[in-house]
Amino acid sequence: MEENPRGWIHGDETAKAMLSRILTERPFLFLPPLHRVPLRVGNVVEIAGPSPSAKSQILLHAAVNCILPEEWKGIRFGGLGRMVMYFDLDCRFDVLRLSQILKHRIMEAYRSTNNTYWKEKGEHQKNDAPTTHMYLCDDELFLDCMRRFLYIRCYNSFEFLAALKAMHSHSQRESEALGVSVHFLMIDSIGAFYWMDRACQPMPIGGSKRKNVSLQSLAEAVVQEICKLLQMQPVLVLATKATIFGAGTSGNDAQRLAHDVNLPILRSTSSTRAFGKWCSEGKMDSRTSSREGEKLMYREYMPSSWQSFVTHRVHLQALDEIISGGEYGTLLTYASQWVQPPLNIKDKFAIRDDGIFLIT
Amino acid sequence: MAESNEPQAKATASVSSSGNPTSSLSRVSKCPETLEEGKRSFSDDAGFARVQPMIEDWHQPWLNGVELLEDSNHNKHFLPTGYEGIDVLLGGGLCEGQLTEMVGPSSSGKTQVCLYSAALVADKHFGVVMFVDTCNSFSPKRIACIVDQLSSSFSGEAKERRLKRVMSNIFCHSVFDIFALLDVLHQLEFKLKQQVKSGDTKICLLIIDSISSLLTPVLGGKGSEGRLLMVSAGIILKKLANEYNISVLVTNHMVGGEGGILKPALGESWKSIPHVRLQLTRDQGSNICNVSILKHTFMATGRTAKFVIHSRSCSVQDGRGR
Repeated sequence: MEENPRGWIHGDETAKAMLSRILTERPFLFLPPLHRVPLRVGNVVEIAGPSPSAKSQILLHAAVNCILPEEWKGIRFGGLGRMVMYFDLDCRFDVLRLSQILKHRIMEAYRSTNNTYWKEKGEHQKNDAPTTHMYLCDDELFLDCMRRFLYIRCYNSFEFLAALKAMHSHSQRESEALGVSVHFLMIDSIGAFYWMDRACQPMPIGGSKRKNVSLQSLAEAVVQEICKLLQMQPVLVLATKATIFGAGTSGNDAQRLAHDVNLPILRSTSSTRAFGKWCSEGKMDSRTSSREGEKLMYREYMPSSWQSFVTHRVHLQALDEIISGGEYGTLLTYASQWVQPPLNIKDKFAIRDDGIFLIT
Repeated sequence: MAESNEPQAKATASVSSSGNPTSSLSRVSKCPETLEEGKRSFSDDAGFARVQPMIEDWHQPWLNGVELLEDSNHNKHFLPTGYEGIDVLLGGGLCEGQLTEMVGPSSSGKTQVCLYSAALVADKHFGVVMFVDTCNSFSPKRIACIVDQLSSSFSGEAKERRLKRVMSNIFCHSVFDIFALLDVLHQLEFKLKQQVKSGDTKICLLIIDSISSLLTPVLGGKGSEGRLLMVSAGIILKKLANEYNISVLVTNHMVGGEGGILKPALGESWKSIPHVRLQLTRDQGSNICNVSILKHTFMATGRTAKFVIHSRSCSVQDGRGR
């Protein structure tokens, strides 16, 4: 009994074991704007911005990244090969967009491997079998990936709560069937039922013992359900939030945000610092927001229980600039800024069918 | 992943069970407690197993990507609007299962697109069209005129028969306030629920021209009731579209924004409701309209196309309408 906790504390771990543990808990995800901060399972990330600011697109690209395998039949895809649970509260998810992104990613991986293959073998084999072979295995991989995408649509907060309650047992069933675990829990978008829940009148039925249904109590229940899930089955939560009040320009908000930004990063661990240094060396200075103009800020409307549940928060904005994306035609650009943890960097990115790209 | 949490949970649990139970319990943080609670309620408790099917009744079914794709391929087709520019731009037309919004200033061709797609969809046997008319814009004469144009090669009697068929496939409801609209939509949902069992001819296009004239009077002010009504209408429209494979087309007007630039009415909360937003513009005195994509589920924003609205230069006798 005495030895057990001590052994647990002093437990040695090989570097390999540690790396594989870290990589499952905290897989590296190069997906602007999510690449700025180290995200790990258990984190709750809120992606806020007006419509359109590419919020859902970021979710879809993250989802494709997650459902793609690391490697398949000798070809590297660089995905996580795990499941995604997608809660569609906005009811605007289009499966065609998901399959479009997935197909682009698969084709891109094939193209790059074939190119190196041809380079090694010489030009004369270019019209050989690989192309036909590629289309044959394409479908199998595609369906494998699509099966790892779990989707549910909710038309009101009560359906959402019921779905959250049933989520664990469903994901376990699917995990057993597919042999992989869930990595992402996605919610698009968390404020979808705000106006409906806000109008909930406290009902006198059942006396004072019954909990009243209100915006606050519903948000609390949602947070509680997700908390429960996170303890049983660690996942990374990504939630989008549409700004329904327009860009907040009121003095109150500006003040609050300025206050937030000035706060020291209390939770900054050594890894945060190391990561920040590593991925933004040299770029940090050239893209500070002071030069870019005003900060992105929006009026908060979610109840405090949700606000305090969120561990990371990024704000997005569509820009007027349009850049040319080669074969993809013209691309719209977006700006992102981390509010929690407060990073003084404003990234610009564009979205293509095969990924999200930083613009320098 | 679950295994990595296991030792921690056990360790805390064993600490709390040994020694002084009351004091250690109070010291134990809330997390392990809820963990134990959650575990019990999910797997160990037979009670949860019993209520689980009930909970599954309360939410929509879980689908995986393959099932979603199958549903999309089999049930969600494109309905042509009849205007080549729009149909090419949208990759085939209005998508079933989606809510499409057309926004544009007065006389930019919104109602014409509504009437033309209603006539075409009713004509091509795609199904029944429901036209919710909020500002007396529905014109049976115009429909007759469109059908006349479409069947110019037909003889008199065949034309007559075709017109009758088209007209009987379009149902028009006049609605003048948001409550009446919600009422119509709920009734429609109820009817469709019954219809799925009986298998009648299905409704495939629902047009609301214009939804903004119902919503603007209730919006504004300090209260949230207006936005509640707007979001409720949006959600039920999307629900109808998705569950019963209906394409919903609504129109919206433009208002002056900052600096006098026109912007779509209905504000920020409405923006997250339609799947597809199209903006129509028309130059003064010309019958060429421009359409551009403001938002689309998988197409790039900003793509544009042109289409021509034909003038009313066709002979239709009065009394032929509904």
